[in-house]
Amino acid sequence: MKVSARWLRDLVPGLVASPKEIADHLALRGAPVESIVSPGESLADIVVGRVVTAEPHPNADRLTLCTVDGGDGVVQVVCGAPNVQAGGLYPFAPVGAVLPGDFAIKKAKIRGEVSQGMLCSSKELGLGVDHSGIMALEGDLTPGESFVAAFGLDDATLDVEVTANRGDLLSHAGVARELAGEAAGSVVLPDLLGDPGVALTYEVDTAQVRVGDVSVAVEDPDLCLRYLGAVLRGVQVGPSPAWLQERLRGAGSRPINNVVDATNYVMLELGHPLHAFDLGKLSGSAIVVRRARLAETSFTTLDNAARKLSGDMLMICDAERPVAVAGVMGGLDSEVDDATVDVLLECALFAPKSIRATRKALGLSTDASYRFERGVDPEGARQAIERCVALILATAGGSVDGPVLDCAPTDFAADVVDLRLARVEQVLGVAFDTDRVRSLLTPLGFDIVGETGGTLQVRVPGFRSYDVTREVDLIEEIARTHGYDAFPAELRAFRPGTVPDDPMFRLEDELRRALAARGLFESHTPAFAPDGEGDVEVNNPLSSTERFMRRTLLPSLLRRIEHNFSRGNRDVRLFEIGTSFRRAGAGEAPDEETHLAVVLTGRRNPPHWASEDDPLTVWDLKSLLEDVVARIYGDSATAEPEGVDSALLDTGTSFSVKHQGDVVGHAGMVVAAKVDAPVWAGPVWALELALPSTVVPHPPVTYLALPTFPAVERDLALLVPQGVTSEQVATTIRDAGGSLLEAVELFDVYRGKVGTELALSLAFRLRFRAAERTLKDKEVDKAVQAVLRRLEEELVVKARG
Amino acid sequence: MSETSPIDALRALEAEALEAVAEAADASALEGARIAYLGRSEGRISAILRGLGSMPAEERPAVGQEANRVKSVVGEALEARAAALQGGSAASSEDLTLPARGPWKGGLHPITQAIDEIWDIFRDLGFSRARGPEADSVWYNFEALNTPLDHPAADEQDTLYLTDSVLLRSHTSPVQIRTMEAYEPPIRIVAPGWVYRRDTYDATHTPAFMQIEGLVIDEGVTFVDFKGTLAEFARRYWGPDTEVRFRPSFFPFTEPSAEVDVKRVITRPDGTREETDWLEIMGAGMVDPAVIANVGYDPERYTGWAFGMGPARIAMLKHGVSDLRTFFENDVRFLSQFSS
Repeated sequence: MKVSARWLRDLVPGLVASPKEIADHLALRGAPVESIVSPGESLADIVVGRVVTAEPHPNADRLTLCTVDGGDGVVQVVCGAPNVQAGGLYPFAPVGAVLPGDFAIKKAKIRGEVSQGMLCSSKELGLGVDHSGIMALEGDLTPGESFVAAFGLDDATLDVEVTANRGDLLSHAGVARELAGEAAGSVVLPDLLGDPGVALTYEVDTAQVRVGDVSVAVEDPDLCLRYLGAVLRGVQVGPSPAWLQERLRGAGSRPINNVVDATNYVMLELGHPLHAFDLGKLSGSAIVVRRARLAETSFTTLDNAARKLSGDMLMICDAERPVAVAGVMGGLDSEVDDATVDVLLECALFAPKSIRATRKALGLSTDASYRFERGVDPEGARQAIERCVALILATAGGSVDGPVLDCAPTDFAADVVDLRLARVEQVLGVAFDTDRVRSLLTPLGFDIVGETGGTLQVRVPGFRSYDVTREVDLIEEIARTHGYDAFPAELRAFRPGTVPDDPMFRLEDELRRALAARGLFESHTPAFAPDGEGDVEVNNPLSSTERFMRRTLLPSLLRRIEHNFSRGNRDVRLFEIGTSFRRAGAGEAPDEETHLAVVLTGRRNPPHWASEDDPLTVWDLKSLLEDVVARIYGDSATAEPEGVDSALLDTGTSFSVKHQGDVVGHAGMVVAAKVDAPVWAGPVWALELALPSTVVPHPPVTYLALPTFPAVERDLALLVPQGVTSEQVATTIRDAGGSLLEAVELFDVYRGKVGTELALSLAFRLRFRAAERTLKDKEVDKAVQAVLRRLEEELVVKARG
Repeated sequence: MSETSPIDALRALEAEALEAVAEAADASALEGARIAYLGRSEGRISAILRGLGSMPAEERPAVGQEANRVKSVVGEALEARAAALQGGSAASSEDLTLPARGPWKGGLHPITQAIDEIWDIFRDLGFSRARGPEADSVWYNFEALNTPLDHPAADEQDTLYLTDSVLLRSHTSPVQIRTMEAYEPPIRIVAPGWVYRRDTYDATHTPAFMQIEGLVIDEGVTFVDFKGTLAEFARRYWGPDTEVRFRPSFFPFTEPSAEVDVKRVITRPDGTREETDWLEIMGAGMVDPAVIANVGYDPERYTGWAFGMGPARIAMLKHGVSDLRTFFENDVRFLSQFSS
C-alpha cells in the first residue's frame, strides 16, 4: 500500500512527524514501511524561471538565446529546446544547482555565448521520459519560488507492508488511525476543495430498489451484501484538478479523468472501492447483481482483455448482459469516457471469499479485488459514496438525480466481544485495567460499551469486523498498541517438557559427526528429482527437473560430484542425510524414509611430500560402510559382497546391507557411464542406506576380564583354491581352533606363482590363550593341526610347504 | 607485621629466578641470570646457603634442605634454557617446518552447523527435538494451524501439492500439531527440517529450504516468557550486547504475532565496535487458542508460544554468504571453509 505522507498529515491534524518517524511508528504497529520515496528530494536546487526574452542564437540555428528571471536577477541562458517561449515559466537550474545524477550546473560558453543556468526537461529532472522539450509550467507561479513546492513534489510516498489480516490498512484513513492516539488526536476527513455540500438521501430496500427509470436488484444476496448506486447527471468528464492529481500520484496512483479519479481518491482515502458506469451505456438503466449465466462465457474487462466466465462468478449486469466483474474490474463497454454525461456510481459490499475465488480463477488482481478479499468496511459504504459524489460534483460538475438506490439484503450488526481482564493478564503476563484498555483501544475505533465484573464489552468497528472477532484478537490489539517493547523480557522458571529428544536426531548427529571426522563433507541437496528418479509426483512443479520427489539420494549426490568435477575438484567426498519418498496408496501421503548416502572419489589422503598419492579403493568404501552399518544397526545388519539391484553400481564390486532379511542399503563402485567425469577422474565409490524408523537398540557392552597369562601365536600360510573366500577360511579356522583360539587375523594376501601354478596365498596369525594357565607348545600344536585338518577337509585349503 | 619466614623468601626467590631464566633471550642474558642467583660471590641463593651458619640451630636443617632444592631446580632450568637457546638438546637434522601429514578434513554443512548451534542453546533452555513428515496433509499444514485455504494468508506461502489434500509442508509448523497430538503438556520442543515452497531459485529463495520450529505449551506461559526466552536465545547466539526487538506481525496460528529483529554489535579486526542494522531473524507469537483447541487441549488452561526461523538466513548473516544457492552447490572448496 503506497501512502502519501502529506495525505496522512491532512487526516491527523495533530500529527507532526517526518516520513521516517511515521515509518518507524508503523513498523512497531505491525505495518513496516519497505521504502520511502520523495521525488522532490533531489530537486531542491530547482526554481521556477520565467523566460523574459528569447532570440535566435547568433551562431547556431537550433539554439535560442534567452534571458531568464530565476528570482535572483535576470541572467543569459542558452537553450536548445524547440518549445522555449518568451514569457513562459519553466523549471530552471541556476549556476551551482545539482541535478539528479550529480550533474552540476556551471557557467558555460556555448557557441560563443555565455550561459548561466539551464531550463530543464522532465527527463532531466528525473520526472518522466519526455526530452522533446523543456517542461512548461502553468499556474500562478513566481520566478524564484521552489519548483518542488510549485509542482507538488514535496511529498513522500511510503510503501507500507500490510499483513493479510489488515484490510483496514489499505487506506489512508486506516493507516492514519494507527498514527492517531492520545498524542496526535484522531482521524478527521478534511473538507474537499470545491465541495458543493449536497446532502444525499437514500431509497432503501432489501432485494430491489427503483428510483425513476433507474433500478438496482441483488439476485445473489449471499455474494453481494449491499449495493449502493448514485445517479449523477450532466457531468463533464475531463482531467482532474492539479491538487487531486498530486494526491493520487503521491499515493502511487495514475490520474485518468475526474470521475475515475474521484473513485480512486475515495478508495485510497477510505479503502472502499467504487466503480463509475456510464449510465447511458447500461441497458434499461438497470443494475442486476447476479452470478454469470451459462451462456455468458466471455467478458471484456476495461483493460480490453477477454475474460472467461464461470457460473460461480458474481457479475454486475444491466438489463441484458454483464457490465462488470463484481469487485474485480469493470467492463470495457460501460466505461466512463469523455462523452459520458450521466453516471451511475457503484459502492457495494461483496463477500470476500467470492471475490477471492473469482480473482484467482481469472488470474486478475486489482486494487478493488485486493481490498474486497481482505474485507471492506461494511459500515462505511454511505460515507464512501457521499465523499465520492461530492468529489465528482466538485471536479466534474453535474447534479445528483434523486435519492441513492440502497439495496441492502443483509444488515450489518457490529460485534460486541467480551474481554476478560484476567485473560489479558493470563496471555500477556502483565495486568491491564479498564482505563488503560480504553485508552489503547478507543483511538483504533473500538468502543467499550459495558463492563461487568472484570469483563469489558467491546464494540468492534466495521472496518475491523474481519480480523477482530474473538477475545484474543482484542488482546493482540492491546499488546500492539501498548507496544511490544513495553513488555518485560524475563527468562522465568519453566517446567520440563514431556517430549523426549527424538532419538533419530541423535543417531543422525552421530553419523554426521562420524563421517565428517572421516574426512567427508556434508551436503544439502533439495529432494526434487527429474523423471525416472522417483514415483511421487508434484502436481504443480515449477520445472521439469523438480517434477518428482526423489526415491534415493545417490543421483543428487552424483550430480554434486559432477559439479565438483566441472570445477576441477578431484578429491570429493560427500554425504547427505535426507528423505526418500515412495508412493503409498492413491490419495495418501507418500511413505518417507530417512536415507544416508555417501559418494567418494579421488585420493585416500591429502597429498604429502613424504607419501605417494594413493587412490581411494573398495577397501576404504568397505570400512566406511561397516562403520556406518555398525552405528545404525549394531551387530544386527551385515554387509555382504554381492551384485545389487541398482543400475548405478557395478555388479562385480558391490555390497548389500541386510537387516533381518531385508535389504536396507547397498554400496559399491559407480558404473563409469553413470557419472559425467573428466578423463583425469578415477572411480567413484558410493553407498546408500535406509535408516530404520526407530533406533535399533545396541546391547550394552559386557566386560571381558583382561588376560593374566601369556598368549602363543602361530602364523599359517595357506594356499587357497579358486572360489574359496577369505571369510570362509577365517570362519573355518575359528570353528576348528577350539576354546584356546583367541583371535584370527589375516595379515597377508599373495597372488602369484607357487611352484608352477598360479595360486592365492593367505597368511593368518592365530593367537591362542588359556585364561587360567600358561599354554604348553604341545597343546597349541594340537590345535593348529586340527585347524589344518579341517581346512583341508572342508575347503581343500593347504598349508604352504 | 610478621617477618617473612626464610623458607617463604626462598620460594619467592625460586619463582623469580625461574622467570629470569625463562626470559633470558640469549646466552649472555642467561649468564647474567646465573650470576645473579647462583654466582659464587654475588648469587642470592648462594648467599643464603652461605648465611646458614648464622641461623638458629633449630631452623638450619629445614632452610638448608630447601635452599639446596632451590639451587638444584634453578640449576636445571639454567641448563635446559641453555640447551634450548643452542637449538635443542637432541639436535634434529629434520626441517620441522615441513608440512604435517594427516587425514582429510571433513565437515558439517554450514546450515547444519547453524541448526546445531541454535539447537545447543535451546537444549540448554530445556527443549527437546521433534520431527514430522515432509509430505503432509492440508489439515496439518493449514487448517489445524487456523489457516483456512480461502483466506489471503494462505497465499503467502505458495505451496507444492502432491494430491488435492497432500502437500509438501510449506513450514515446519505442522510438527506443532503432531507433537501436541502425541504428548500432553508441558511441551518444549524445537523441530528442524526441510520445507518446500513454489519458488524459483534466486539469491534469497530456493524451492526447498530448512526451517526450525519452536513450541512451548504449559499453564501460565505468557508473552513475557515468550519475549524473555527468545531474547535470551538471541543474546546467547549473537552475544550479550545484542539488542532484540519484537514487532507486531500476522500469522494465522499465533496471536499476538511478532517478527523478531536483532541488532548485533560487531567487533572489527581493529577493535572498533559497530552496531548492525535491525535484522529480521524469525516470525513468532503466542499460540492462537484455536490451534490449542484443535489438538484437544483446553485453551483456557494452556497458553504457549511458537517461532519459526530460517537457519540458512542465520548462516548467511554469520558467514557473509550473499547467495542462498551457494549452499546447494556443495562445492568442496566452499564446504571446506566451514570445517573445523
